[in-house]
Amino acid sequence: MDATTAMYVGQIMHGLAYGMLLFLVASGLTLIFGMMGILNLAHASFFMLSAYFCVSVIHMGGNFWLALLAAPIITAVIGVMVERFLLRGIHASGHIGELILTVGVMMVIMEAVQVFWGTDSHMISVPSALAGMVNIFGLQYPLYRLFVIFLALAILGLLVLFLFKTKMGMIIRAGVSDAEMVEALGINMPLVFMMVFAAGTWLAGVAGVAISPLLSVFPGMADQMGMDAFVVVVVGGFGSLLGAFVSALFFGLLNSFGIQFLPRIAPVLMFVFMVLVLSFKPKGLFGERE
Amino acid sequence: MKRCFFLLRGVLTLLVLGMLVTSAWASDALMDRMADFDPSNPVVPKGDTIKIGHLNPFSGPAAMNGELYHIALHWVAHDLNKQGGVMVDGKLKKIEIIKGDTMSKPINAKKAAERLILGDKVDLLWGSTGSHISLVCQQTAAKYKKIYVSALSISDSLMDAENFNRYTFHTPWTTSQAAKSLAYFYAKRPEKKFYILCQDYSFGHALAEKFKGYLKEFRPDAEIVGEDYHPLFTKDFAPYLEKIKASGAEVIFSGDWMPDSVNLLKQSRDSGLNLPFANMYMDDPITLGVVGVEGSAGLVNANQYMINDMDPRTRELNKVWNHLHDSKWEEPYNSSLYVWPLGVVASAINTTYWMMDVVERAGSTDPEKIIATWEGDKYNSFAGVLEMRACDHVTVRDTYVSEFSHPAKWFDNFSYIDKIVTVPSYVVEPPLPEGLDRCKK
Repeated sequence: MDATTAMYVGQIMHGLAYGMLLFLVASGLTLIFGMMGILNLAHASFFMLSAYFCVSVIHMGGNFWLALLAAPIITAVIGVMVERFLLRGIHASGHIGELILTVGVMMVIMEAVQVFWGTDSHMISVPSALAGMVNIFGLQYPLYRLFVIFLALAILGLLVLFLFKTKMGMIIRAGVSDAEMVEALGINMPLVFMMVFAAGTWLAGVAGVAISPLLSVFPGMADQMGMDAFVVVVVGGFGSLLGAFVSALFFGLLNSFGIQFLPRIAPVLMFVFMVLVLSFKPKGLFGERE
Repeated sequence: MKRCFFLLRGVLTLLVLGMLVTSAWASDALMDRMADFDPSNPVVPKGDTIKIGHLNPFSGPAAMNGELYHIALHWVAHDLNKQGGVMVDGKLKKIEIIKGDTMSKPINAKKAAERLILGDKVDLLWGSTGSHISLVCQQTAAKYKKIYVSALSISDSLMDAENFNRYTFHTPWTTSQAAKSLAYFYAKRPEKKFYILCQDYSFGHALAEKFKGYLKEFRPDAEIVGEDYHPLFTKDFAPYLEKIKASGAEVIFSGDWMPDSVNLLKQSRDSGLNLPFANMYMDDPITLGVVGVEGSAGLVNANQYMINDMDPRTRELNKVWNHLHDSKWEEPYNSSLYVWPLGVVASAINTTYWMMDVVERAGSTDPEKIIATWEGDKYNSFAGVLEMRACDHVTVRDTYVSEFSHPAKWFDNFSYIDKIVTVPSYVVEPPLPEGLDRCKK
C-alpha cells in the first residue's frame, strides 16, 4: 500500500474508531431520552466518572480488564441512585425540572471528581495485550483502536439482541413509542425507567473506560464529548438506536476527512450538518419524536 | 620553597573546608526554614502583612493551574517569612497569599481581581494563566493603580502598544522568545522538514507564525511540510497524526499545553509515530512517564528554566524540595508532578523571589516606588540574569533548550533533560513593541 492510500485507509479506520466511541456515549443518551423523555445533560459526566473509576481500579492494583468490568457497573449503580432518589421525585413537575436537575447532577459530578481525584491529569497505559500495531492489508494500525471498534460492535450486537429478542426489550421499545400505554397494561414503568437509566449510564461508563488509554483523564474531559454525543443524538433522531449508530459513524468519518481536507473548518462541520438535517428533517434522520 | 608549598596547601585545604561548611550551612539553612512547609496546608500569617493576591483558576477544568502555582508562591512566602519577612515602610512584614479564583473566565477574573483589591486590600496582584485572562487582570490592576505581576501568560501582545500599562510587569518569557529559542536550536541540526501542529487560538497561531519567521532567519533551507491547528482539548489526534505520517516531516513543532500536549504525545507514540516534538510543555513527569524512555527520547523542549545543579542555589532548592516531597507532602503535592522543582513552577518561584526583592529594595508596597525600582532592574536569579526592560516591562533573559535523552539525572523511567543549550538573552531578546511611545527613545 503506498503512503497516500495508507493515509486514506488510516483516516477511515480512525473515523470508525472515533465514531464507535461516540456511539457508545450517544446510545445511552438516546435510550434514556427515547424511554423517559429526559434529555440527560449529565450523561457525559457519567462517562467521565467511569474514566475516573477506571483510574482508581488500576491504581488500587487492578488492571484494565477489571476496570472495564467494574467501572461501568459502579457508574450504573450511581446512575440508578440518581434516577431513583432524584429524578423520580421530580418527575411529576415535568421535563423542565428534570432537565435542570441533570444540570445540577453534572455540576456535582464535575466538582466531586476534583475533590476525590484532584485536578491533575491521570494517565492510563494501553493494556499490554492490546499494545502495538497490527498489519491491515499493509497498513500499520494501533491494535487498541481496533479493539475499540470491535468492543462497540459487540455491545451494539448485544443491545440489538436484547431490544429485539427479549420480552424486556419489547417492553422498552413499546415504552419508547408510548410509555403511558405500556404502563396502562400493568407494566411497572418506574422499574423499567430505572433499568434503562442504568443501561444508559453503563454504556457511557464503557465508553469512559474505553477512551481512558487514549486520552488523559481530567476534569474537563466530559465537556466536548457531551456536546458531540448530543449532536449525534439530534441528527440520528431522539430515541433511535439505529440513528445514533449511523450518525456516530458518519460524524467519526466526517471528523477524519474534515481534518484531512478542510482542517480549518473541521470542528464546525458536524454542527453545519446538524443544522442542515434539522432544516429538512426536524425529527432527525431516524427519529419519530421531536 | 617547601614551606611555601605547605602553607599554600594549608590555605587551600582551609578554603575547601570553609566552602564545604558554608555550603552545608546554607543548605541546612534552607532546609531549616522549609522543614515545616506544607503546601496543602500553608501557614498564612495575618495582621499587618504584605498581601499578595494570587489570580488563577482554582475551580473548573483548569483548576490544576491554580494548584500548580500556589505551591510556588507559598514556597517563597514561607521562606521569606521564616527569615522574618520583608522590610517595608521601616518594618519587617510577613507575606500573606490570598487566592482569587478566575475560573478561567474573563468576567470572573475581573470580579476576583476587584475583590482582592477592594475587599482584601492586597498590595500586589500576581497571576495568571491564559493570556485573555491575564489581560483582564492587568487592566483591572491598572484601573485601581495596583501592581500586577504577569508571571505566567506569555503572549507578546500583553505588553504591546495597545495593552501596555505601567502597573504591569511581565516576568515570564514571551511567545517570541519561545519560538526563537527553538528555531535557534535547529539552526545547526540536520532536520529541516517541520510539521506545525498547534492549538487553534491566538497563542497557537502567534507561536507558529513566529517560529516560521525565525526559522527562515536561522535556517533558510528549512521547509514547512504541513501546518494544522486543532481545537483546544481535542480528544482524537489520530487524523492529524495520519497526515503527519504521510507528510515526510522530520520534526513536529507544537506549542500545546496540557491536556492537549499529553494526549498528542501519547497518541502519536501509540500510533507508531516516533518523530521528535519541538515543544515547550511536554516536560512534565506525568506525560513523560506514560510514554516511557523510548517515547520521550529525542523530544526537544525549550523553557525559561531547566532543572540543573550548576548554581549552588538550584542545588539547594532541588535537594530541599525533593526531600520534602518524598518525606512530608500530602495530596496533591506528593504526586510525580512535584518530585523536583521543574520548568514553569521553578521559574515562578524564581521570579517571585525577584518580585519580593524589588519590594524590599523599594522599601514599600507603594506602586510608584515599585515601578521606579523595577524598571531597568537587573537581578541575578538562579535561572541567570533577569532584566526588566524599562520601556515595556518585559523581562529580557537567557532561555534554554534540551534534547531529552536517557539515562538522565532526574528521572529513571523516561528520557529527560541532560545537556542544556543556553540561548543567550541578546539572541532571544523580544522585539520592542511597535507604536509604544515609551520605547521610541
